[in-house]
Amino acid sequence: MSAETVLIEILGSHGRVQTRERVPLTAEQRTFTIGRSVAADVTLDDAHAAALHATVEITPDGKILATDLGSVNGIVIAGKRHQQAQGLELPDGTLQIGRTHLKIRTTHENLAAEKPHALQPSSLLGDPAWIAGAGALACGMQLAYSSWLGAPRDLAIVVVTTLISGVLATGAWVAFWAMLTRVMQGEWRWLRHAAIFLGIAAIFVAIEALLELGWFVFSLPQWSTRTAWLGAIAFACALYLHLMHASNLTARRAALIACILPALSGGVGHWLQARNQMRDVNHIAASLRIYPPSLRLRAAGTTEDYFHSTAALRDAVDKARKAIRADDDDEDESADDE
Amino acid sequence: MITRQKIFFPALITAALTLFALPVQPQTPAAPATPNVAAQAVPPATSENARDVLARVRPAVIQIKGFFGTNTAQAFHGTGFAVAAGGVFMTNYHVVAQQVQFPDKYRLEYRTTDGKTGPIAVLAVDVRHDLAVVRATGYTPPPLKLEDVPPVKGERAYAIGFPLDVGLTITEGVSNGRVEDSFDPRIHYSGAINGGMSGGPALNAAGDVIGVNVSGYRFEQLVSFLVPAEHAQTLLDRAGKSTPRAGGFKNDVTAQMRAHASALLDGLKGEMLTQPTAGYRLPAKLAPFIDCNAAGDPSPQQPAQLVQISCAAKAGLYVQQGLYSGDLKYSHFVLTTDKLDAWRFAHRLSQMATATGAYGSRRHVGPFSCENRNVRLKGFDASVMTCVRGYRKLEGLYDFTVRVSSLNSSKRGFASHLDMYGLEFDAGMAFIKRYVATMEYTP
Repeated sequence: MSAETVLIEILGSHGRVQTRERVPLTAEQRTFTIGRSVAADVTLDDAHAAALHATVEITPDGKILATDLGSVNGIVIAGKRHQQAQGLELPDGTLQIGRTHLKIRTTHENLAAEKPHALQPSSLLGDPAWIAGAGALACGMQLAYSSWLGAPRDLAIVVVTTLISGVLATGAWVAFWAMLTRVMQGEWRWLRHAAIFLGIAAIFVAIEALLELGWFVFSLPQWSTRTAWLGAIAFACALYLHLMHASNLTARRAALIACILPALSGGVGHWLQARNQMRDVNHIAASLRIYPPSLRLRAAGTTEDYFHSTAALRDAVDKARKAIRADDDDEDESADDE
Repeated sequence: MITRQKIFFPALITAALTLFALPVQPQTPAAPATPNVAAQAVPPATSENARDVLARVRPAVIQIKGFFGTNTAQAFHGTGFAVAAGGVFMTNYHVVAQQVQFPDKYRLEYRTTDGKTGPIAVLAVDVRHDLAVVRATGYTPPPLKLEDVPPVKGERAYAIGFPLDVGLTITEGVSNGRVEDSFDPRIHYSGAINGGMSGGPALNAAGDVIGVNVSGYRFEQLVSFLVPAEHAQTLLDRAGKSTPRAGGFKNDVTAQMRAHASALLDGLKGEMLTQPTAGYRLPAKLAPFIDCNAAGDPSPQQPAQLVQISCAAKAGLYVQQGLYSGDLKYSHFVLTTDKLDAWRFAHRLSQMATATGAYGSRRHVGPFSCENRNVRLKGFDASVMTCVRGYRKLEGLYDFTVRVSSLNSSKRGFASHLDMYGLEFDAGMAFIKRYVATMEYTP
């Protein structure tokens, strides 16, 4: 049998390989030692490891067996601590000594098949540059459109300033995630984060505009909290994708954070807004949003129907009026005086 | 006497209370450098008459002061005058409103021109005409006579009171008769009425009461108003049958606001008159007491031409500090364009239909609830939004804010605003329905 090599990977706390060490094996010498001491075959920089902590034996048929050399902390296999272990098998080659995670790889391990790598992404959807570009175009058009709607004069100035502020906001957001990625993963991934942000912003803007227009076109009653809901969903999606690319969180954990954060911020925001609206009795949340009349597809209702439905307002306002707490009375006294 | 350019009450009586909040003006001695040159030019008979009138009514006029809690410094003040034997005095509702609304927090006192003081109790209030009848304990001067014949335009008149706490004052002016086309019955007095004179008597040359000082326009010159004496007589008759009440007058105030709202809507019961603008027939001057103005931008360079028609009933009443109610106003913004495209025109129209609920404070009203829909009107479709909020203490009264915006053209359109304060729900809704249903498009 020719000379055999074992590769020991020492993993960082986030699961990435920090250092690798090769240990040669011979037919006679099939064990190596791990510990804090220089005398050990594999030296760890870990205060929780013994000088000579454990030995690992690779059997000729590729089994990996760990033996504790009388350490205080023992060895941890698959999350379970073993004191005084003798020849304990490591099913996937991983073990924890002290606080260090190690992976022991032998020539016997089963490697996954090679992944094909296309120099050109198979579809445009997989190409972050394309997504970022398309998203930027869509968002830019929306910004330009909204400034065009309201400003017949000095249009150029408004469009340019709006676009610049849009670019700055996008840049700040993308830079934040890129820096996080740099810290966590060692690379920037600018384009990917730009694609996530711009792509989702474009989808949000498109859905928002379509819904608003839809309400007008089909004469539907308005959904006043629409923007808040769509915004929260878009934020959650973006957060999930950013987290997945920037950190080593598992998909489940990232999804959890992505759901909880917008729910929390949205919930608190909505609560604050509701409080403020209760406070400002002159606030009217609803509005008449009008588009070119030729777009309308559904006939308007009759006045009879309309005033039938307004009758329900009485109960609604009586309830809202009574909901104001009696002890809230005098807080805004200063607002009364002219 | 020095002449001090003093601001008047704002249009809606507010001032009485606002001005009272000012620090009491120290009385400066008359400037000796400018002796009465002007006075000599005035026919002597006039001044003598004013002196006679003042001398005759002087004992009947009292200053009414309000105090917060146990404070000895006044919170507000006004004037009152004797109208019946036994110490019964007439004043304005707005002078005693705070005490009527918060009887536990405020107390009222009178002060005669001789410096005598004593407590006052409210006997009856008339919010609609801004009058109140009070009884002063321990002071029973002979009452003034209420003149039941309305004054003629051009007749000499005098107003008496304690303006800005500078002491008993008489001002001389001319009665200009009933204010034409006013929802609130008022006599126009061309003379000075300043804060603190509220509730004082306005007299004719014979010294009989023609009205009660009530308000003036701030920043205008000597346009002041009196409540006609006949309303004082009506309230006095009613007060004769009542005694001071422990429960206060809250129910009276609510009932009177309701009556005022009904009277206002009754005044608008007739046919809904419309006026044409850019093909739309929109509600116009709906009653003689409605005051309408129309304006437009004459410049043809505008991308869209706007005509604005604003109408107001000017029927608002002072209920208590920070609470005016019982008013109704509407306006139309008619927009035409031959330059703007359909999208931008629609955007402009949306902006004109934006609604905020005017004045209102959380201690008096609840938040708005709205109903928003596209509705088919005569000859065109429109988007209609109705928002309502309820009064917290004036049970059964509501504020309404309505926005109507046309949806039939990309070259012309209108946004109409209707705002009504302090109406009963069904009556208010019925008026909105008539208002909306009367709109018509006739190309």
